Amino acid sequence: MLRLTLAARLALIVIVGTLAVAITLMAVFYRTALRETEAARPSPARLVALVTLIEQTPREGRGLLLDATSSPQFVVRVLGADQLPGSGAELPQLREAYATALAGRAVEVATPAPAASPRFPRLARLMAANATEIRIALRSGETLVVDSRTRLPVTPFGLPIGFGAGLFGTIVALLALLVMQRETRPLARLAAAVDRVDLSGAPPLLPQARRSAPEIRAVIAAFNRLQGRLGEMLRARLTLIGGIAHDVRTFATRLRLRVEQIPDPAEQQRAIADIDDMIRLLDDALLSSRAGAGGLSQEMVEIAALVRSEVDDRRAQGAAVDLTSAPASHDAIVLGDRLGLRRVIANIVDNAVKYGRVAHVRLSLGRDTVVVSVDDDGPGIPADRRQAMLEPFNRLETSRNRATGGAGLGLAVARSVVEAHGGTIEIATAPSGGARVSVELPVFRAG
Amino acid sequence: MTTPPATILIVEDDPEISRLVADFMRREGFEVACAADGRDMDAVLQRLRPDILILDLMLPGEDGLSICRRMRATDTIPILMLTAKSDEVDRVVGLEMGADDYLVKPFGPRELLARVRAILRRTGGSPARPALRRYAFDRFIVDLDSRNVEVTEADATAPQLTSAEFDLLGCFVLRPRRVLTRDQILDWTRGRSAEPFDRTVDMLISRLRKKLEAASPGSSLITTVRNGGYLFTAAVRQVA
Repeated sequence: MLRLTLAARLALIVIVGTLAVAITLMAVFYRTALRETEAARPSPARLVALVTLIEQTPREGRGLLLDATSSPQFVVRVLGADQLPGSGAELPQLREAYATALAGRAVEVATPAPAASPRFPRLARLMAANATEIRIALRSGETLVVDSRTRLPVTPFGLPIGFGAGLFGTIVALLALLVMQRETRPLARLAAAVDRVDLSGAPPLLPQARRSAPEIRAVIAAFNRLQGRLGEMLRARLTLIGGIAHDVRTFATRLRLRVEQIPDPAEQQRAIADIDDMIRLLDDALLSSRAGAGGLSQEMVEIAALVRSEVDDRRAQGAAVDLTSAPASHDAIVLGDRLGLRRVIANIVDNAVKYGRVAHVRLSLGRDTVVVSVDDDGPGIPADRRQAMLEPFNRLETSRNRATGGAGLGLAVARSVVEAHGGTIEIATAPSGGARVSVELPVFRAG
Repeated sequence: MTTPPATILIVEDDPEISRLVADFMRREGFEVACAADGRDMDAVLQRLRPDILILDLMLPGEDGLSICRRMRATDTIPILMLTAKSDEVDRVVGLEMGADDYLVKPFGPRELLARVRAILRRTGGSPARPALRRYAFDRFIVDLDSRNVEVTEADATAPQLTSAEFDLLGCFVLRPRRVLTRDQILDWTRGRSAEPFDRTVDMLISRLRKKLEAASPGSSLITTVRNGGYLFTAAVRQVA
């Protein structure tokens, strides 16, 4: 298979296209010139007149008459029987009209005999093909030979010779269009793949179309390498955060064990709370980057039981949390990371309790999804801040005052985990005017 | 108190944590021995028999998961796992590991003490037999030690599994309702079967699927998850 560059392919397509247009135009011209062709073939009446005139004219005046009636497209000769040239193919279908008009005379209609030794035999044959030679027997025993030919190369039946070529050209142009489309398809696939890039899993490598142009192959290869490198980077980041998390945890464990030595119980409690916050932050960061790099596990999670246990835990600690769940949602199973999902529920419930005093948790079943929504009685979140709340390190209060809450990772982590599960998270307004955070997760059905 | 103090063996690679825990537990009246890794632990076990094992999950060399599994198969010593990765907790106390309890790092010493006491109270009176690795799911009972599969229904015949198929089933039974990738399945079953296992996971699974389906029609216990792997959907419980 010839490997043409994209530029060559495009040039070829343009040339073929132009040619096709030119041929089509020619065909159109010929079609419109058809009437002229008809006119070039003498009408039977004209021949009758000519024959009558020649027979009436004395022999010496004939030369003048023949000169007067002849033109390059209409050659009239009177030949003796011995002077007749050989004739070409008979055209009986044209003969009918002339024979009726010239009743009683022998009429022959044929293509003229090709020239004896033309330099371009094919061309000569082609030119001869569009001419007609009419032979009429005169009363004098001579034969009137009328050679009529059109200016344009047309078959005796008036079909322009270029017609077939035009048709062919058009078909070629159509094929060229198809080829063009085929050439650009890998590019379209590439664009679609770029839109689809999901670095959380193994990168979906684009297949190399063997017949594509080298440039396109190079682009696809480069894209695949880029995808690989991005994935590697994400995994490296995950490894880094994982490593840091492990070591920090070791130090935190030592610290936590040493905190027992602090004599002041209040100080000791504060130190323990600090260590807990630190670890939570680290866990959130690790969970979020795992969600982004496809590091979450997948197991069958009974979401209703998970939500219930999170709610029960908080109620046991005295938080104002209640749960209503649609009976249909009790058996709903989500294929996902149990710990990650637990963290999602914990984060939004804790947020509601922290900023809105109470958390009304509701569990319901959609068509193919299960929806967990948490309402609170707080001031709510202004519509223009909602999207930003789902970004890391964004809090409604910009002071980053740790006394009133966490680092601002909670909702961002929830979002990255939910999205890694193919779900959505949304902030809206609760009927009470407080904030409503809804998490929608796809339900897993085995089979 | 006339009972002799209980003995604790701490298997932990960080010497500081080891020392801090040991100091604290000694103050609380326990006998404490320390080991830095699995080989160290085996050496200590030669000369003393602890009442409880405090085992770190992340250890150099043989990791805590494998030590726990090994101890469970041969011994009755209760195990308290220390995990750094909180995402492992389900597996630590689940079917796969069978630890008695776990603590996520960082933990407070009082919490550790409470857990240790609770475990000792639970197991102290009558030493438990080594846990049997018999699991029930759907209408099957699998015994991982005797490598035997039974069917509870009288009308069905137990599937005849090859060694590789049994290993695969064992891998699923210990990790039910979790999506296992081909690579994970390979990792967990490699070395135990003589059959070449590489790309034959798919084939093996389809054979196992057929055999289970034949013994329990319509059960579809193994599901293929799109761009994930395989999922054993049955609920598995341990039986005596």
